[in-house]
Amino acid sequence: MRHHRQRILDEVGPAGQQRLTSASIAIVGVGGLGAPAALYLAAAGMGRIGLIDDQRVDLSNLNRQVLYSQSDIGLLKVDAAVRRLRAIDPAIRLEARRENVQPSNVAEVMNAYDVVIDGTDAFETKFLLNDAAVLLGKPLVHGAVLQWGGQVLTVLPGWPCLRCLFRDPPEPEVVQTCEEAGIIGAATGVIGSVQAEEAIKLVLGVGTPLSGRIFQHDGLRGATRITEFRRDPDCPVCSAHATINDLSRYVDQVSARGHVLV
Amino acid sequence: MAALDLRQRQRYARHLSLAEIGEAGQERLLRSRVLIVGVGALGSPAALYLAAAGVGTIGLADHDRVRLSNLQRQVIHSIDGLNQPKVQVAAQALRRLNPELTVEAIEATVDERNALDLLARFDVVVDGTDSFRARYLLSDAAYLLGKPLVHGSIFRVEGQVTVFKPGHGCYRCLYPEPPPPGAIETSEDVGIFAALPGIIGTIEAAETIKLVTGAGDALVNRVLLHDSLAMTFREIRYERNRACPICGDRPTVHALIDYGAFVGVAP
Repeated sequence: MRHHRQRILDEVGPAGQQRLTSASIAIVGVGGLGAPAALYLAAAGMGRIGLIDDQRVDLSNLNRQVLYSQSDIGLLKVDAAVRRLRAIDPAIRLEARRENVQPSNVAEVMNAYDVVIDGTDAFETKFLLNDAAVLLGKPLVHGAVLQWGGQVLTVLPGWPCLRCLFRDPPEPEVVQTCEEAGIIGAATGVIGSVQAEEAIKLVLGVGTPLSGRIFQHDGLRGATRITEFRRDPDCPVCSAHATINDLSRYVDQVSARGHVLV
Repeated sequence: MAALDLRQRQRYARHLSLAEIGEAGQERLLRSRVLIVGVGALGSPAALYLAAAGVGTIGLADHDRVRLSNLQRQVIHSIDGLNQPKVQVAAQALRRLNPELTVEAIEATVDERNALDLLARFDVVVDGTDSFRARYLLSDAAYLLGKPLVHGSIFRVEGQVTVFKPGHGCYRCLYPEPPPPGAIETSEDVGIFAALPGIIGTIEAAETIKLVTGAGDALVNRVLLHDSLAMTFREIRYERNRACPICGDRPTVHALIDYGAFVGVAP
């Protein structure tokens, strides 16, 4: 009854709904991107959702992080998120993890789930998630936003990864953070919802994921672009001569800013 | 002009850094009045993101109550709101997110009798409905009042968004004739892929923010089409139809009509 409107889709059906109920998703970073992703994954009936974030809700989050309320200010995001998602569907297993992903815990966090959604806002973490996804063979739905737009791509085993497209994160002096550059909530809503859609398709095994393709959205112009890209034969993490090849030695192979060291 | 207070500066800090919004744009948002017709799959994300953005007055119009089968995609609602009027449940959620806004809960079906009076009180109208009858009604009413209408619709795994700005085409220009009666399933029989309405409804919110602030290029004369399974977006251009019965060169429709009869459904 609850999921009637998607069960009647050929692409979902009773078997697909069962697959969603048995699946687990990690949402790393429960902010602008994680908020809509978490809402839609809970609504769709994902069996188990891990929420990974060590921050607390701040008033300046509320222009975009629609998972939270004014009364949540000061609470841990993961705790406030669990309460809100439980109100949508109490049957979902929600795991609140008050931590940040780092080289030391990334394998343990990612291995506990079937699919990982990147809702983080730091480049070094985005590259760490990419590298770990490649090394662990874990599907990762990457997303990033700034100002009025953003991008999504899905990293699947054997397909191109983030470093095939962007070898290293940009230098800190050339990038602006959301705090400096600004962000419109609806941009995070579009990108986070696309990430949820990608994750649902991966679990159901339907449709065409954004693997080997990057989706870029410019909300200000109302323009979208999807660009195909190939594996880089010299990719530092997913090619035959990768230099990033051991998560236990990650800090020797990648700088704290996410740059390839060797 | 009232300047933003300290708390508003914190809440909207990420907008103040945006060149296209800044302080003047935020004040415009806070003074704006947006009506969302239909607080379901599309209205949920649209309402959440417009409230988060600081749209000063949000009208929510819907006659329905929250049902369990809504919760698969209507993320503004929750189990505590089951069987309650959608507009009341949604209004509470918006006030929790942003208590400084005025939220008007209008528990009514928008129809040919009340549409003009209702739409006249708002600056922008957001279509979150799920019937052809309502889409033609809103398009005609918005055109007659000279109001911009942000149109969104979803069907199974696909969705579309466009902005009807008076003089630049309307829903009738895109779809001169309603589909033949019986050709379309009633909405309860149409599956909806989860997260699809999140994308379409959120783009509707972004377009509304652009119309209010004057930022960027609105989706005027362009329909953005999304296929969630193939994960593609396509843009189709359209023009005002000079033969359109309402916004064409020689209009024959000068007032609202009976939209149930027009689309061929029982009243």
